[in-house]
Amino acid sequence: MKQIKQRAWALIFLLCLALSGCGLLPPEEPSYSYSLDEIPAYAGEPYVVLEDNQPDFPEEDQTSASFETYSPLDDLGRCGPAYANVGTDLMPTEERGSIGQVKPTGWHTVRYDCVDGQYLYNRCHLIGYQLTGENANEENLITGTRYMNVEGMLPFENMVADYVTETGNHVLYRVTPVFEGENLLASGVQMEAWSVEDSGEGICFNVYVYNVQPGVEIDYATGDSALAGDTGGGEEGTYILNTSSGKFHLPDCQGVASMKEENKQTYTGSREELIAQGYEPCGQCDP
Amino acid sequence: MILAVCIEDRGGMLFHRRRLSRDRAVAADLLREAGEGRLWISPYSLPLFPEGAAALCPAEDFLERAGPGELCFVEDRPCALWAGKAERLILYRWNRRYPADLYFDIPLESWRLLERTEFPGSSHKLLTKEVYLP
Repeated sequence: MKQIKQRAWALIFLLCLALSGCGLLPPEEPSYSYSLDEIPAYAGEPYVVLEDNQPDFPEEDQTSASFETYSPLDDLGRCGPAYANVGTDLMPTEERGSIGQVKPTGWHTVRYDCVDGQYLYNRCHLIGYQLTGENANEENLITGTRYMNVEGMLPFENMVADYVTETGNHVLYRVTPVFEGENLLASGVQMEAWSVEDSGEGICFNVYVYNVQPGVEIDYATGDSALAGDTGGGEEGTYILNTSSGKFHLPDCQGVASMKEENKQTYTGSREELIAQGYEPCGQCDP
Repeated sequence: MILAVCIEDRGGMLFHRRRLSRDRAVAADLLREAGEGRLWISPYSLPLFPEGAAALCPAEDFLERAGPGELCFVEDRPCALWAGKAERLILYRWNRRYPADLYFDIPLESWRLLERTEFPGSSHKLLTKEVYLP
């Protein structure tokens, strides 16, 4: 659905360009605002799989020629999709430089004790530096929470980077920031990837990563934030925390039996409160 | 048999039926471990190894077929069912995070760490190899 919208916007943009060339319409920048209707609300996992994990890349792009493209910023200064066919020839050969001079939309320098490294927001590369070596490219940087950057996006980038490095193959890779209405802060990003030479056997995913930070409430219109208050509302229950892995379990979960005593902690309270504290629900017992 | 598995920082092995990572240095180490013996693998794992490596024994039912002392490299299935048959466990840690939906499912609490070594990979700065005894 979103891809259809993207293409529709691209067509409108091309039409505007063509017409503006004839002096009929002023040039317009593409706009990328998406409906979030199809995406489930954040429920403790940093990402959710879309469309049975199948990405949709045009057949004409499925070649072994590397490329990278970044969308022009829209009239609100927001990034659009970043798209590449990642090969070893695009990968960086030197350490990343400073990107502090770029201030993506919704940017605030704000710190919370409950955030890993304290800073709520990172300048998030849409296409990770390790893949295409883009440093301070404002068309490739959005304001993203530490949680989205490290827990959500980085693991997928790592998977692609390792695959390309080890095989020398190419991976079609697209990251689309999803802004609701005229919000300055993205609600999340769609990440898609597909390995070309082995037709997706090595790499194939289509996921949505939430731009959230457990324990912090965010105003996506502006990027303003506040420490989450009493998240309340959640039903109280008893859970077993693994203070080492950061997971929480039902008391009768098989994982509890094998947990080291020093990592085990009993907790009575709401599920929502645990998630706000940064704990994730166990994938097996699904508490 | 000796079970060998690669895991990411949270114990993940696979995401949507695809391996999370790969490294030529791990494949080479597995062949070294097998020595003159057999290295049992799933057909899925075959592309990781040099073509024609003598130790390789690919089979869908490789875990059933592996005999005492023989090395089994597991990528694409749960392991807990085979824990009782394992005489030794070799864990290769990627020391990175990847998305996962299949996790290593043998609780290590009941195993004794025999040795831990680190070595550079071809695409990973540092790989950790741990050997456990039941």
